[in-house]
Amino acid sequence: MQHFALTIIGRDRPGIVSQVTEALYKLGCNIADSSCSILGGQFAMILIIAHPEFAAKESFGNAFTALEESGLSVFLRTLKPGGEKHAKIEGEICMISVYGADKPGIVYRVTKELGERNVNITDLNTKLIGSDEQPVYVMMLEATLPEGMEPDEMKTIMDAIKDEMKVDISVRAITPVEL
Amino acid sequence: MAVRSILLYPDPILKQLCTPVMQHDPRVDALIQDLVDTMVAAGHSVGVAAPQIGVSLRVVVVDVSGSKLGKKEQNHGLLTMVNPEIINRTGKKTMREGCMSVPDYTGNVDRAEEIVVQFIDRAGEEQVVRSGGFEAVAIQHEIDHLDGLLFLDRVSSLKTDLFRRKG
Repeated sequence: MQHFALTIIGRDRPGIVSQVTEALYKLGCNIADSSCSILGGQFAMILIIAHPEFAAKESFGNAFTALEESGLSVFLRTLKPGGEKHAKIEGEICMISVYGADKPGIVYRVTKELGERNVNITDLNTKLIGSDEQPVYVMMLEATLPEGMEPDEMKTIMDAIKDEMKVDISVRAITPVEL
Repeated sequence: MAVRSILLYPDPILKQLCTPVMQHDPRVDALIQDLVDTMVAAGHSVGVAAPQIGVSLRVVVVDVSGSKLGKKEQNHGLLTMVNPEIINRTGKKTMREGCMSVPDYTGNVDRAEEIVVQFIDRAGEEQVVRSGGFEAVAIQHEIDHLDGLLFLDRVSSLKTDLFRRKG
């Protein structure tokens, strides 16, 4: 079945999810994986959807017009075959917390080190907290290390950035347990 | 004396309340052996509950001594527990749990850090054991199966909602 990625964002208010899913249900769409969250004052939805008869974006017609008229931005992307399946990601899982006085480049500096080493970020959240006078930046990310890399090595890499960027960083290994 | 296959959700047995074992007869011993064999055959598994192999009786086996996490901590090796009951819980420990009956999904679950559990052992003797850390988490997870509960019923937080806005 052809899958699509649907992204919807708009000013947060109660009822967005039901409004969106009602439209999808009436179309006959299936929702596979999805993740929705509040970012700033916006509510953002990302969904992988499929329809037994829809092969291209055009099949949706003007199904999302009502959503757009209610103030939501809607973006639909057609996935390549197999794009709905995630590859099995093997390797140690690390949770990395980065926080400190807000300054440009925190996210880039940290993720550059990860990208260069083939560390796969599987989840990332950032939030600006603190006061107007003293803004504090917090970033939490979860990443899967490439085969052969141990969490201690990640700690060493992050320690170097900690000094350079004057931020606090901690790295914790997460071991999911199958019971 | 047999490796049984692990039932997967939505098998209805996994959501049933299991019946206590009334009589300690050879059938119970055979069930315990099947649970141990199944746990061992599952490689990295540290515990199996009877409903996971299709038997709706209050029996679980737990052994964290062979696992990477478990062997670092004090543990009781192989525990075979008939009619187990947790009689005391203290502390809190969060672990990222998964379950053989719910493949491809994990979630953070809060459990008691230390428990005291009462049960009948394989020889038919009553036992009271104090357990902590990973072993205690495993025991709580397996006993939940006897009450028709999966870790999905206990997930405490979405993956990274560590700093949801205050409102």
